[in-house]
Amino acid sequence: MKIKKLAAVLAATMVSSALAGCGNGGNEPVSSNNNSESNSNSNSDDSTGDEPVTLKLFSNLPDRKTGQGLVEQMIIDDYMKENENVTIEVEALDEEAYKTKFKAYSMEGMPDVVSIWGQPAFLDEVIDAGVLEGLDKNDYVNYKFVEGSLDGYTYDGTLYGLPRNTDVQCIFYNQKMFDDNGWKVPTTYDELLDLAGEINSKDIIPMAMDGGDGWPMAVYLSDVLYKVAGSDYSTIVSNAIETGDFSDENIKKATELLKKAADAGLFQNGYDSQDYATAMNLFTNGQAAMFYMGSWESSMALNEDIPEEVRSNIRAFTMPVVEGGKGSATDIAAWNGGGYAISAKSKVKEEAIKFFNYMYQPDKLSKYGWENNVGMSAQDQSEYMTGEETELMKQIVEILNNSTNVSGTPINDCGPSAFKTSIESEIQGVSNGSSTVDSFLKSIGDACK
Amino acid sequence: MKKLYSNKLVILSLVLPGVLLFLFAILAPICLSVYYGFTNYTGMGDFDFIGFDNYKTLMHDSAFFISLRNSLFLAIGFVCIQHPLALIVAAVLDKLGGRGESFFRCVYFIPNVISIAVIAYLWKFIYNPDFGLLNNIIKFFGGKGDINWFSYDKAIWAVLIVLIWHGFGWGMLIYYTGIKNIDPVLYEASSIDGANPIQTLLYVTLPLMKPVIQVNVTMAVISALKQMETVYLLTNGGPNNSTQFAANYLYQQAFKAYKYGYGNAIGVIFIIICLLATVILNKIFEERDVWDVKKKKRAKGAVS
Repeated sequence: MKIKKLAAVLAATMVSSALAGCGNGGNEPVSSNNNSESNSNSNSDDSTGDEPVTLKLFSNLPDRKTGQGLVEQMIIDDYMKENENVTIEVEALDEEAYKTKFKAYSMEGMPDVVSIWGQPAFLDEVIDAGVLEGLDKNDYVNYKFVEGSLDGYTYDGTLYGLPRNTDVQCIFYNQKMFDDNGWKVPTTYDELLDLAGEINSKDIIPMAMDGGDGWPMAVYLSDVLYKVAGSDYSTIVSNAIETGDFSDENIKKATELLKKAADAGLFQNGYDSQDYATAMNLFTNGQAAMFYMGSWESSMALNEDIPEEVRSNIRAFTMPVVEGGKGSATDIAAWNGGGYAISAKSKVKEEAIKFFNYMYQPDKLSKYGWENNVGMSAQDQSEYMTGEETELMKQIVEILNNSTNVSGTPINDCGPSAFKTSIESEIQGVSNGSSTVDSFLKSIGDACK
Repeated sequence: MKKLYSNKLVILSLVLPGVLLFLFAILAPICLSVYYGFTNYTGMGDFDFIGFDNYKTLMHDSAFFISLRNSLFLAIGFVCIQHPLALIVAAVLDKLGGRGESFFRCVYFIPNVISIAVIAYLWKFIYNPDFGLLNNIIKFFGGKGDINWFSYDKAIWAVLIVLIWHGFGWGMLIYYTGIKNIDPVLYEASSIDGANPIQTLLYVTLPLMKPVIQVNVTMAVISALKQMETVYLLTNGGPNNSTQFAANYLYQQAFKAYKYGYGNAIGVIFIIICLLATVILNKIFEERDVWDVKKKKRAKGAVS
């Protein structure tokens, strides 16, 4: 049971590096922590009796039929079945629309349970505004959370939410295409760029990149920076964001490597204006050999809308090492991103906490997530491994198992929102050559001030 | 009836809804924008007054100036390409008559009936460098067909074509209605005098269409400044702000970057620019009107 090592490995690695560079700070919890019942199992104690209760869940998972949205819906259905007096109304929007409406809700009253991201770019302002309920870490000691995974959700010792996933940044590839053409999984960054040339010569797109959204490119930059700077990654990033000075040699080198990849034709033509779905379609239709995305897309291997020939041949590897860089092959870009929180001003807070805790019962989010191949949860999932998982899923578990260090939060989510907006736009310019590396580093630095 | 209209209460009750609508839906939000424009409000929690800091930052914000430049390009595109074309098409349609007239009127108006979201995605696929229609047509005619239509230097032109194409139907329809309102007797008279179609267009249709053209051009310039939805869905201002427009930039700053105060400062400058544009356009048309009247008076004087 290799997966049993998962908790131990993550425990060691995440403590050492994850989120350490992103600096947590904030106000006191907005309300006194009165969720002493929060650890109670919903099946055993229904404190609200049979009075009808309506809970509002605001989610960033609009697809309720596959992936994580399906898992969320399954838990909601279970809860409503077990608590007949409770109706859960779901409002789901995709990420960008979600974040916009989240802000509107923060002014007029937040729904009871909400999706959040345990990263400074999202949480800093939200915690300052006092819209989330403070939780007690001690209430969740038995929930098998991987150690270090709660750090991004903790401000001044108070927990403001719980993570849903452990995200591993992957380079998905079409193994059959690789085998048919005699291509090998690259072990160094230069090999990756050489491979791009070879793939291009066959009129195939080497790597599908969602460059229109900006954030996948920023994650790419973080991934390369982690290979360049190794364990210094978080210190370098936090120093740069604090001072607004991004002239550090490691950051400069990583940016140059990103530009080198774009110049070498690693990404598709027009990558800097194409969205997530278009990039993903290039890969799933067999037009691209690789796809740069997080482990949450590992459910591609089960998605019947994807042609069988592609679907069953999807495999993954992580960013290869950079020659002269400090990061090893097993130092990977991974973090705990999305999760849930409770509204501080919820009128049905007791029920909201009950439902919130119900979601994080190990046999809910973790188990259902595992069974539906939606990537790694932030809780120990070893007992749910059946051996019948897809090859892709097993491979990602192995990547995580064998990892010696993980990066923690990607660079774009480590600073304030203004920095995030700036880097996700400016990175398009530096990669397509319309701005220089130095002006890129200056612009993102200015956005931190 | 006259007595009723001179009753002040009746006048008040007729004017009040409009005044209230203006006060609460337009004036109050503008006042709030001015207020928040002087703060560092993130959209949540507390905020401080920071004086003119937002405006000072704005003066050095290259993305904002790119968005203004793009609005100017679009306004020029509307006035110099879209509207002359729309006017000519409307004049030709008017002469077409029969089934052809109603058929082409519908065809030209179809883009306006389709939702903006559909239009944006349609063009995204037409422009796609890997499997888009445009590149496939180029390939069909023997070209390489690998043009990145949304590259940093080409994206704004690609976006302008979509916007000009999309707004064409409205302009055409308003011109068409204007032309239909021209008294046919004038056309008869001009044809008796031996005017050819071009002379009829230049000396009968155009002068009589002047009020319609004034309204249409003013609306076109304002809509160029207000452009948001299509750009948001097509490129979201990218790559690297090359297709940024002021309204979209305002939205990004206020709601994505959590700089609500800064977003409002952009809003205030934006309102001032829109007002200035309207005033300047009105002045231009007004001066022409006055000039025309003077010219007519001079002509009359010469005759007498």
